Amino acid sequence: MDLWQLLLTLAVAGSSDAFSGSEDSSGKPKFTKCRSPELETFSCHWTDGVRHGLKSPGSVQLFYIRRSTQEWTQEWKECPDYVSAGENSCYFNSSYTSIWIPYCIKLTSNGGTVDQKCFSVEEIVQPDPPIGLNWTLLNISLTGIHADIQVRWEPPPNADVQKGWIVLEYELQYKEVNETQWKMMDPVLSTSVPVYSLRLDKEYEVRVRSRQRNSEKYGEFSEVLYVTLPQMSPLACEEDFQFPWFLIIILGIFGLTVILLLFIFSKQQRIKMLILPPVPVPKIKGIDPDLLKEGKLEEVNTILAVHDNYKPEFYNDDSWVEFIELDIDDPDEKTEGSDTDRLLSNDHQKSLNILGAKDDDSGRTSCYEPDILETDFNASDMSDGTSEVAQPQRLKGEADLLCLDQKNQKDSSSSNATPATQQPSVILAEENKPRPLLIGGTESTHQAAHTQLSNPSSLANIDFYAQVSDITPAGSVVLSPGQKNKTGISQCDMHPEVVSLCQANFIMDNAYFCEADAKKCIPVAPHVEVESRVEPSFNQEDIYITTESLTTTAGRSGTAERASSSEMPVPDYTSIHIVQSPQGLVLNATALPLPDKEFLSSCGYVSTDQLNKIMP
Amino acid sequence: MLRAMGRDKASLDRMTFDNLTGSLLLLLLLVSDLLLCKSVASLPICPSGAVNCQVSLRELFDRAVILSHYIHNLSSEMFNEFDKRYAQGRGFVTKAINSCHTSSLSTPEDKEQAQQIHHEDLLNLILRVLRSWNDPLYHLVSEVRGMQEAPEAILSKAIEIEEQNRRLLEGMEKIVGQVQPRIKENEVYSVWSGLPSLQMADEDSRLFAFYNLLHCLRRDSHKIDNYLKLLKCRIVYDSNC
Repeated sequence: MDLWQLLLTLAVAGSSDAFSGSEDSSGKPKFTKCRSPELETFSCHWTDGVRHGLKSPGSVQLFYIRRSTQEWTQEWKECPDYVSAGENSCYFNSSYTSIWIPYCIKLTSNGGTVDQKCFSVEEIVQPDPPIGLNWTLLNISLTGIHADIQVRWEPPPNADVQKGWIVLEYELQYKEVNETQWKMMDPVLSTSVPVYSLRLDKEYEVRVRSRQRNSEKYGEFSEVLYVTLPQMSPLACEEDFQFPWFLIIILGIFGLTVILLLFIFSKQQRIKMLILPPVPVPKIKGIDPDLLKEGKLEEVNTILAVHDNYKPEFYNDDSWVEFIELDIDDPDEKTEGSDTDRLLSNDHQKSLNILGAKDDDSGRTSCYEPDILETDFNASDMSDGTSEVAQPQRLKGEADLLCLDQKNQKDSSSSNATPATQQPSVILAEENKPRPLLIGGTESTHQAAHTQLSNPSSLANIDFYAQVSDITPAGSVVLSPGQKNKTGISQCDMHPEVVSLCQANFIMDNAYFCEADAKKCIPVAPHVEVESRVEPSFNQEDIYITTESLTTTAGRSGTAERASSSEMPVPDYTSIHIVQSPQGLVLNATALPLPDKEFLSSCGYVSTDQLNKIMP
Repeated sequence: MLRAMGRDKASLDRMTFDNLTGSLLLLLLLVSDLLLCKSVASLPICPSGAVNCQVSLRELFDRAVILSHYIHNLSSEMFNEFDKRYAQGRGFVTKAINSCHTSSLSTPEDKEQAQQIHHEDLLNLILRVLRSWNDPLYHLVSEVRGMQEAPEAILSKAIEIEEQNRRLLEGMEKIVGQVQPRIKENEVYSVWSGLPSLQMADEDSRLFAFYNLLHCLRRDSHKIDNYLKLLKCRIVYDSNC
């Protein structure tokens, strides 16, 4: 142990000397490298420090010592073979080599240690280069420019790879002949690798080196392998393949254009709307935009204006006065008598008053806004049997307008009647929202049920129309503001012909509509001309009858009459023509040359008898 | 006398019977051994109850070699990092000729010896070496953690090596169980007594202890890796890798 410690110190001193005195270590031999190629033998080389010639090339000796088991052999042994590995080398064959055993070697010159080194054999493994490099052609690209080759080699012969004593991995490098930089491939464990994409018109050099797996140091490179690929055919394609951007852009634009055109000219409304959104049309509440779109300003005007026929009546101050004077807020007040009288009389204006009793409209809504009117009416409690024929316009409102629109389209021909019928409502609208309606309603009731019937606009007035709330024993009808829609509205859906007939487009809401109207509206095409004639569907349930319904029923009963009564005004207001029975009120469908009795009786409120009469 | 004789006769009969039974059993055992030995390569080594456990010897060796290779890689890297970080200029290299605690195990030291040794013995040797490293690796991890500025790279590698070593040990035991099922060897291994040196107060001494341990670890992992590759070629590929 003491000797070993001495040895160690010497080793330290020696190594430090060796390291420090690198400049002027000339002449001092030192180890250059120790190497084991196959983990079975190893050799060490040193430099001979006789450059400077200061020292005589004294005998340089190498001594080694290795630890076996737990102890170091005390003796330094001399190198067994100075020759096999070349000059200034020491070769240890397999019998002297033990793996995983620490070795220390020292170099002595003239008795003095000049260098020392300690290592284990497995740390200094550097395999020999592979042998037997060759290559084979794998394939040539379609363009005839590139090719792939497979390079094969054999492991170094002294490495016992077959028994698995040493496991090697290889690294291949290649380059073009006139290049300077080698291209490196990743290490592989197998003895053949493919090399891709070599150009056919170039010559390549290939070399391989190996190392033990897990080691860091590679062995020497193998001999260079020259790869000469077959020359490419003279008909080789052009090398550069430019992506046809130009072509793609043109095609793309063309395709997009085609698609766009398809969309634009397609019938698909939805897509068309996406691409070419329609210009928003003006919209006035209560007025059918189609009406405006169609450009039938006359009809629009008629809607908005008061019917000519009723104009004077509308503007009748009396009616207005009456209108205003009527106290709607007094629900208890029964103005039946006066109202019914008015209704019965030909003085439509008075009736208008009734209708227009309520004047809550502060102009905040359009005439044709059913909601407001409805509230107004409701508030005024007009439904209470008053003679107010304040039929809320709400019912008709849009429906009326819509129907009016359609009707207008149809009734353009029969505008005579329609304007008349329309006027009242229109005027009403103009003057006073709820009121005009009422007035219109009343007027129509008085005058021209027929006109109103025939007049699509009368539909709008339907809301004004008084509903017959009661029938006096005397046979007069008590009208009160209607709450119900008229069937007329439903009429609108019908085809134009029928629509025209179904002027009194009663809101289906039960209010009152004559079945007659409905019937008439639906199927009666030939009578379309009459247009204004809408057969009011008679809703027996309702006590309220719109004038329309009345008129329409009147009209309906006489289909023949209907034809003639084309300009039956909107049945909103049907004048009470006759009181047929104590229980019934025959409304005078003034516009219609109808067998009033029959007709009127059937429409609106009608006794069951009349109803039966009317109903087929 | 007669009774004694009678007794003797009965016992003799019994003995004869026992002998016969024993010999029969032995014969049976031998036969079974032979059969087992013949088909050692294809015997599946599966614990009872396992469903997909048809692992052949070849696969076991492949896995073991992969593990041992991995462990050696890690220990080499770990050693290099430690050397770079702590051992520069301390002259550990020259001092690190200390023996490793596994040197007492008589492992083959060159190719000839490795080829001459019987594969069963070699397997057992490998097992011993692996077992010997269980304890040092465990302490290595804990001590590296306790080091000042515990180096993350070294610590992670140490942890990984410890785990992989355990797995390799399991794999080796499986292989041994398959190759020589009847031998139940006592768990022989070298005891490691280097813990106190790892915990020394003197920084220099402590670092040297670490250096030494890592050096030994690298060496032993290389040894095991080599043995396993040798055995694989010999057993699985019939010396024709």
